[in-house]
Amino acid sequence: MSGTIIWTDQVDPATASAVAGAKMGRLSELLQAGVCVPAGFSVTIDAYRQHCAQSRLDAVIDTALAGLGDNPGPAPIEQASRTIRAEFEQRPISTALAKDITDAYDDLCLHCVEVNVPTAVRSSATGEDSDDASFAGIFDTYLGVSGPGRILDAVRACWGSLFTERALDYRHRRGISHHEMPIAVGVIELIHARASGVAFSIHPVTGKSDRIVIEGNWGWGEAVVQGLVTPDHIEIGKSDGRVLRYDVASKKIVSAFDYAAGRVVETDMPARLVDRRVLDDEQTAAVAEAVAAIEKHYGFPVDVEWVLDRHRRAGEPICIVQVRPVTAVKVSSPPPARWNPVSAATKYAFHRTT
Amino acid sequence: MADVIPLDEFVSDEWYPGFKPAYDHAPWMVDPVDTFKKKDEETFWFLDFHWPRGLTPMGWIWGEDGYNWGTQLAAETLPLPPGRGMTSRFAGTHLYGSAVPVTDPREIGARAKRIEKSLPLFLGNFEDIWATRRQETEDGWAYLRSVDLGKLSLAELGENLVQARAYHKRAFEIHFEVMYPLLANFVGFYGQCVEFGLDPGQIGKFLQGYDTKIMETDRELWRLTAQARSGGLADVFAATEAENLSAALSAHGGAASTWLSHFEDFLQIYGWRTEGSCDLALPSWIEDPTPALGTIKTFLLKPEVHDFKAALDAAIAEREEAVDAARSVLTREEQAVFDGGLESCRAANFPWWQDDHNYYIDLKVSLPMRWACQEIAGRVGADASDDMFFLFWPENMQLVRGERSYPDFKPIIEARKQYFDHWYQRRASMPKMLGTIPDSVDDPIVIEIFGLNGHFLDTIKAAASGQEVRTLTGIPASKGIARGIARVLSNADELHRIQPGEILVCESTSPNWTPAFAKIAACVCDGGGTLSHAAIVGREYGVPTVTAVGLATAIINDGDEIEVNGTTGTVTVFHTATAGSTEGAEPAATGGVPS
Repeated sequence: MSGTIIWTDQVDPATASAVAGAKMGRLSELLQAGVCVPAGFSVTIDAYRQHCAQSRLDAVIDTALAGLGDNPGPAPIEQASRTIRAEFEQRPISTALAKDITDAYDDLCLHCVEVNVPTAVRSSATGEDSDDASFAGIFDTYLGVSGPGRILDAVRACWGSLFTERALDYRHRRGISHHEMPIAVGVIELIHARASGVAFSIHPVTGKSDRIVIEGNWGWGEAVVQGLVTPDHIEIGKSDGRVLRYDVASKKIVSAFDYAAGRVVETDMPARLVDRRVLDDEQTAAVAEAVAAIEKHYGFPVDVEWVLDRHRRAGEPICIVQVRPVTAVKVSSPPPARWNPVSAATKYAFHRTT
Repeated sequence: MADVIPLDEFVSDEWYPGFKPAYDHAPWMVDPVDTFKKKDEETFWFLDFHWPRGLTPMGWIWGEDGYNWGTQLAAETLPLPPGRGMTSRFAGTHLYGSAVPVTDPREIGARAKRIEKSLPLFLGNFEDIWATRRQETEDGWAYLRSVDLGKLSLAELGENLVQARAYHKRAFEIHFEVMYPLLANFVGFYGQCVEFGLDPGQIGKFLQGYDTKIMETDRELWRLTAQARSGGLADVFAATEAENLSAALSAHGGAASTWLSHFEDFLQIYGWRTEGSCDLALPSWIEDPTPALGTIKTFLLKPEVHDFKAALDAAIAEREEAVDAARSVLTREEQAVFDGGLESCRAANFPWWQDDHNYYIDLKVSLPMRWACQEIAGRVGADASDDMFFLFWPENMQLVRGERSYPDFKPIIEARKQYFDHWYQRRASMPKMLGTIPDSVDDPIVIEIFGLNGHFLDTIKAAASGQEVRTLTGIPASKGIARGIARVLSNADELHRIQPGEILVCESTSPNWTPAFAKIAACVCDGGGTLSHAAIVGREYGVPTVTAVGLATAIINDGDEIEVNGTTGTVTVFHTATAGSTEGAEPAATGGVPS
């Protein structure tokens, strides 16, 4: 095993994030904790560094960024981003590194017993901020990538996404060099999704920690993550697993597999599925159970991306494809342990904080 | 930017013609009763809905004993951390109220520490406290009822009047001693429910369906209605104006005589109540049974009998359903808090008390002062039995001590009666608010009882700027939709004339309006929160009700067809009745005060 490829199930979780980025590192941790996660490998940070050096991308990047100055407007940033990303997509990967990646992909096909197994190719950033919710969606993810050639293209595109306008702007405002946050790329088996979505171990708006919130849509989770669809919204009491509310949304967009294009794309929801409830009670409970277990494992509130496998049977676990600490929401103080008329009157009748 | 509604036209040193107070006849805790002064413009005042006629000089005692003693004493004693109770000002004869704030944060903090001890103590002993206090007022009532005023000398009548006022004053000490902590607990529970994401419109339901003394009275009225029908008296009622019914039934004889004896029994228990809150200018049903007879007359127009049992059962079923629905969306931790709050609010039930206490306090405690004044009027040879109502307390004291004589006062009484009539005519055009209108109101009493929420304030401001308002909105106080003809009433005098299926539109209702809820299709009020009388009774009776509409009585004309949606809190005015059609519904205002 070279230093360019790390398998999710073969890396020490303690060092996983350092070599495979936060996103892939967390998957290793989840796997270790007994959570159902898809099989896959990471193209490591070392691989990225090797590629940048060998392909002389470092020089391209330095030149493009040097022209930005101290306080660049949107136009120069866009120009720099376009220049760098074009170079990332054009410059070939060295034969040795390309072989490492395609060999790993072949192993994944063998593991899944599927020719040209479709995968999710996900950017996995490093650095202190990489767990920050504001990072969400800043780097690229490609769903449904299959075949060695497409895998290599997707890996290069993910590398290039370290230099999207948003990413450049983000680092610029924070004074972070791109050298401080190299990127790894995860290549993981694409779960055949019946339904997918996100889930939070606390209420993402109110910060109430006594409930789990699930949002879900038919198909893959991209439409939910990108906010293209209003998903079903479910709230569950954490201590007794009781469904407190299930709001069935009118879901107009679905992320579905486009066999002609060979990837997952966003398209109109078939009419019969628009108003149909996504999760039944058993599935809801399975998602909630997974989220609660993950929160317990980490000891802090988390949000996850979950996928309900097309072939999952009742009682089997729900697949988790991503987990992140919840940082953007302040955990609200729990409800009082019991009714206290004085504190309620003080707060609501007299408008005072105790 | 705060809006200011000027009050210059109401500024006066004189309380009524010929009276400038020396402030030596009634105590106050924080701020005394007064007429408006220019500096009052800095404060926010709202027109109190309890006295749509205006108040006579003796009626001002309510301001002194209720607002400026009772509420202030209770607020200082409990204490309310941010408030010192209510104060009052008179514009002419009309009372405006205002909440007196505590402004020093350290003092608010110190008061908050005190209520930490006093509130749980009160709530834990509410049943006993209310039973004891109720007994105290009932004992006072029994004593004053037992006195044979005819045997007293003028000086002794004066002493009786002093006793009657002491009873009145004590009753309002009790009223607010009980009301503030109950309300604080309820508002706390309400706030907690809203915090839990529960629908505010459902919260009132959690505490409904408990029988009150006022509902008991209404059941008896319906029992009498059924007896009148079975006795074949429906035609007599139909053919006779309410004010002539007593005489007509006496003359009819036979079944009518039997019925009248039942009616008399009813009055002896339930008839010691006035057609309005705490105003000694109002007679009791015993003195003038027209309102009770008029109510029965209109009840007879409804083909079916109001089924109180069914209505109460429905209210209870709705309550349990609302509680179950609320609990189902709460986490187990939240349920524990909700259950505790609900139990506390049921044991010390503000909406229930808010109706029940009226029987013991608001509707009758001014009667002993009324009797004494009437007896004094007879003793001094007054022209009218209501003459003494038009003297202020110190003047009546001078009269009973023989320091001044009735003829001395005669011209001033006459002038004051004209003054009262003048202001009575102006009631409909009195501003709902005066002074500095705040962007929001914090005082729970002002919000919950008077309904002065943000929406109400906005409506008043919009109307002041001349905007056209056709769909009115307010607080959804009792669910359901009804469409019908609006009866815009300025006071309870004409209440018994409202026909089944019509929609009651008024400033606000008081407990004496309750019987009407068994026949109206819906109710719309200018004021009132979710805990106002109309809201509570609307829910009990299943009558769609919208409160705190702001300008309903000004915008809706008598005879307009309107639709009331008590679920959403909207009132739609479909067309405006032609001008002049309100004439027939205007109360006869010539006499001023019924006597």
